[in-house]
Amino acid sequence: MRRVSLGIVGLLALVCAAVALTVGCGSSAGGTAATPGASPTGVVNITMWHGDTDYAAKADNVLVAQWNKANPNIRVTALYNGSNDYALQKTLTAIAGGKPPDITYLYGSWAANIVKSPKVVILNDMIAKDPSFNWNDFWPAERLAATVNGKIMGVPALVDNLAIVYNKKLFDQAGLSYPTAQWTWDDFRAAAKKLTIPAKKQFGWGYPADASEDTVWHWEAMLWDFGGDILTPDNKQAAFNSPQGVQALTMLGDMATVDHSIYIDTTNTKIQQTFNNGHIGMMVTGPWDLPSFPNVKFGVQVMPANRQTISGPDNWVILNNGADRVNASWAFLKWFTAAKQQMYYDLQTGALPTRQSQQQQPDFQTYLTKYPGTDLFVKNMGNAVKSRPTIPQYSKISTFLGQAIVSVMLGKSDAKTALDQAAQQTNALLAVPGS
Amino acid sequence: MSLSLAPDSRVRRALGSEHLAGWAFTLPAVVLIVIFGIVPIVWSGIMSFQANDLVSAPHWVGMANYRALLHDPAFAASVRHTVLYTVLFVPLSVAGAMLVAWALNRKLHGVRFYRLAVFVPVVTSTVATGIIFLWLLDPVFGLVNFFLSKVGIPAQGFLSNPNQALYCIVAMTIWGWLGFDVIIYLAALQGVPQELIEAAEIDGAGKWSSFRNVVLPFLRPATLFLVVWSTISALQLFDEIYVTTRGGPLGSTTVVVFYLYQQAFQFFNAGYGAAIAYVLFLAILVITVIQLKVGSRGVYSNS
Repeated sequence: MRRVSLGIVGLLALVCAAVALTVGCGSSAGGTAATPGASPTGVVNITMWHGDTDYAAKADNVLVAQWNKANPNIRVTALYNGSNDYALQKTLTAIAGGKPPDITYLYGSWAANIVKSPKVVILNDMIAKDPSFNWNDFWPAERLAATVNGKIMGVPALVDNLAIVYNKKLFDQAGLSYPTAQWTWDDFRAAAKKLTIPAKKQFGWGYPADASEDTVWHWEAMLWDFGGDILTPDNKQAAFNSPQGVQALTMLGDMATVDHSIYIDTTNTKIQQTFNNGHIGMMVTGPWDLPSFPNVKFGVQVMPANRQTISGPDNWVILNNGADRVNASWAFLKWFTAAKQQMYYDLQTGALPTRQSQQQQPDFQTYLTKYPGTDLFVKNMGNAVKSRPTIPQYSKISTFLGQAIVSVMLGKSDAKTALDQAAQQTNALLAVPGS
Repeated sequence: MSLSLAPDSRVRRALGSEHLAGWAFTLPAVVLIVIFGIVPIVWSGIMSFQANDLVSAPHWVGMANYRALLHDPAFAASVRHTVLYTVLFVPLSVAGAMLVAWALNRKLHGVRFYRLAVFVPVVTSTVATGIIFLWLLDPVFGLVNFFLSKVGIPAQGFLSNPNQALYCIVAMTIWGWLGFDVIIYLAALQGVPQELIEAAEIDGAGKWSSFRNVVLPFLRPATLFLVVWSTISALQLFDEIYVTTRGGPLGSTTVVVFYLYQQAFQFFNAGYGAAIAYVLFLAILVITVIQLKVGSRGVYSNS
């Protein structure tokens, strides 16, 4: 605690320092008259911040080199941001410092927060004027997540969704048939119960219960599947404490406290390892987790009942460094996120296709063979029809829901009481104007 | 040497004195401290009077952030957790370290090994420590519950149990930081004159009596330092929480600095976060002043 507590206060301090140091010169540096990237030779230099490492970074660099070779007038430099987890803090610091990158990778959950910055370029006009960009080729969940109050604030960069990943061996040992697309939630619960063997320290399901957004979005997929919703359509009131919501949380709570069929990881650090060691029958997770299970012969199946899933798309965001650089950034991003380039990236990394038309790309079959299990996640994108509310208050609402879910899973509260309380907090928060 | 160049004696003294050289040597550090220490401290002070989300233009709200703190039940809970943690951590770690140092301050077989063993956790990264404890204390697969079951005690939730998690953090941090305190005490014990202990023994004092009446008074400056230092650290507890419980389960380990982090970087209430930082700063200042006032009464001095 002696070291990093300084780190966190220091982080806040550094943001402040950057703001303080540049406040004096901000007005002149922020001017758009002279575009620093434009050299007398007409070459526009733009910078892109990303969080890719390893194969993914290599794929980025190959693509960027291709672009730079074919487009001598727009020179792109791709820079590693250290980790996407800190991308927002670093981007904000750079904005405050007057020298933001032209393109930056940001998690979808930050969309509503970053869009408040006047530096963020709203893309609606550019997309409308450019039919070849084909905005509707992106999955519905991606488009929803990049849109805040009708403003498109980014281009989808990465997408995923949740599905059931199950251990075939444990199913065989329990004499259970594998999950099907026709499963009901009762089937799911019964299978989890049968897979639970206390003597072998074996559980039917593993659930991240640290009350973080990871806890919450797993449940939100269930909520939608049960027919409920997070907020009312106008985003003014909580809707999750509906009978459907209570039903969804009651089932989760009963599995945890009555069946004891859930390995409840309140620290959200151990489920992957526990599944990989063969102590958990089913997980609800996304394609990014599959490489963590080398020891398990696993299958993948869509969610039970209505098969509704949840998607967590991230975005490329363009920041305004003058018209020349904005135009150059748009031209590059349009190419970079086109089906052909994305297919190359996905083939190298195993990421899901961000564009629906990628399924017609020649490499698509090679991609499916190379990454077993991803075919179902690709199909499952069609089941991600809803999006979490893109409002700045969502991160706070998520914490209310997180507490409610964990308190029910730990048997401290019943579903109705917990959700009603979270709804009360949510409504109070949403009633504050302009927060 | 600068006599002929500076006729004015004041200037001469300034240039020729060691002051100038001293300032020159400390200048790099001073500049860094001003930029990365003083400026942010002042700036976050200003921020604490603003509604500031780090994105849009901040606006002045006066004392509103501080007033909101008074009525924030989550902040009150984080203060309670921090106080409980500090009240347990400081005496237990300081007293524990004193005993361990006393035990290690003698001619034991393999004493170097024991000293090393006590100090290793201090230099181990907190992240590694955190992960080790997560698995040791795992309710299902953890080694601790395995041993408890051997002696007939039912499995405990530990970090998964809202009623136990904070105590687990206390145990974990004591383990992690005991070595630092032990080193300080070992150094202090070297300063206890051997002849005084011998004299006490000749006068018929037992082991306990000579420790209490001879050794303990010599350890007072070290103890005062450790109490002040540990209290400041305990009030600023953050990274052990961040790598293990993340404030949970159900907020039971949300301490003040973790709450500050949540407010500033998860909810983007940087102004509110800055106000929390300032309240914590003032609390630490007051507590430290009281500790120094009370603790320095009648300290034995070697000089």
